[in-house]
Amino acid sequence: MNRLFNRNRMLIILFGIIILILLIGFSMTDRSSTTRAEQFTADAAAGSQMIINAPFDFVGSLFGTITRSFNAVEENEKLRAQLEMLPQMQADIERLEAENEELREALDISSRQSYESINARVISRSHDQWLNSFTIDKGETDGLTTGMAVMTPEGLIGTVTRVNGGTSYVEMLTTSVSQNNLSVEVMHDGTPIYGNVQKYDKERNLLVVENIKNRSGLSPGDEVFTSGLVGNYPEGLLIGTVVEVENDEYGLSQNAYVQLKSNADNVDVVFVIERSPESMED
Amino acid sequence: MRAIMIFLTSFLLMYVDFAFAGFSPIIVSDVEVYFVPRVLLMFILLLSIYTGSRMSILLAVVFGAMLDFYIGSVYGIHAFGMVAFVLFMHTAFRVFHKDFVAMAFVVLLLTMLYDIYIYLLHIILDLVDKPVFDYMALRAAPSLLLNALLFTVVYVIALKTSRVRKEVLPKH
Repeated sequence: MNRLFNRNRMLIILFGIIILILLIGFSMTDRSSTTRAEQFTADAAAGSQMIINAPFDFVGSLFGTITRSFNAVEENEKLRAQLEMLPQMQADIERLEAENEELREALDISSRQSYESINARVISRSHDQWLNSFTIDKGETDGLTTGMAVMTPEGLIGTVTRVNGGTSYVEMLTTSVSQNNLSVEVMHDGTPIYGNVQKYDKERNLLVVENIKNRSGLSPGDEVFTSGLVGNYPEGLLIGTVVEVENDEYGLSQNAYVQLKSNADNVDVVFVIERSPESMED
Repeated sequence: MRAIMIFLTSFLLMYVDFAFAGFSPIIVSDVEVYFVPRVLLMFILLLSIYTGSRMSILLAVVFGAMLDFYIGSVYGIHAFGMVAFVLFMHTAFRVFHKDFVAMAFVVLLLTMLYDIYIYLLHIILDLVDKPVFDYMALRAAPSLLLNALLFTVVYVIALKTSRVRKEVLPKH
């Protein structure tokens, strides 16, 4: 009886290991959509978390409002000064946009920079923090799809890797998943110089861009943007600033070390970038 | 009623775990020190002793799957790990149920081993490349300290939700 029990237990463990391997294999395949079961489980967890967080958020926002009210008068004056300039700036932007569109139509080209943004809020971060990832409160119903770029107000932060019904899972630029096929352009004196993101150097906290042509003249302080040449990323999303340039190990090309503009440790509000279909045609 | 209470408490403890993600890592002289709480795991491990293995295995499967689908990149890691550790706890350490110190030692040891199991799986899958010494010094040890601080609270919650009779309670 005891032997039979042990054999049964061994079978259960073996069966469990097989299921684990199958699940790992399933989750690591390159998929463009998630199953209904995944969506339901993730949305149920997100929904209950939002309900539990609601009273804490309310108390937090109450204290925040009280704290901010101490500087309200000074802030109000600054904003009023900016507001007086706003109608003129608005008019200028509309005029330039119209002019830009007319010229584009005349030349019969579309811009790789064209995109729409969807605002989202970070609702959860992985507590074990092995991979830099977080969950946002927008999903398939809001028009999100896998592979979209995610920005903070400072710069690019990551990629949407899994889309559920009302939530999405985002992996940050510091993980290998987000760096996959990420083509960038470094602006040096107004000229774009192209390269690919190789990896994130965790010891120095810098992004490594490789395959930059020799004698390109890159220098520290040059800004790095997405190139719009690969994937769902439009052109011109700010990534960071070059802090160091060196030759690669064979001396055939250069590598640039880039300091990210966005702060991976403090992400609260993000913008999901939806590239316009016309911009993908070129 | 007790099952509902346990389920709701598990939900709350899962979000207590999530809440710590906002404070960790802490930068100490340019080095990132990670504090990873395992409140939910400690609760489920204690329930396997005081409530029974069936209830804790069910919780391990439900919450493990939820963690995998909600915040995980690789499915199955938490679900399988939690069930395996609950079974291990139930089989090997049931005898300590009256001794608080022994129970604390066992639960904290298993919590640490659980984190090592997840670390090893991530290393095998080539998702992280943290050296072992860095992991032990900057993650495993601080997390153990944090979990030791949280253990007493979780222990009281586990006893209350399990409605353990007084004669079974530890003497300490």
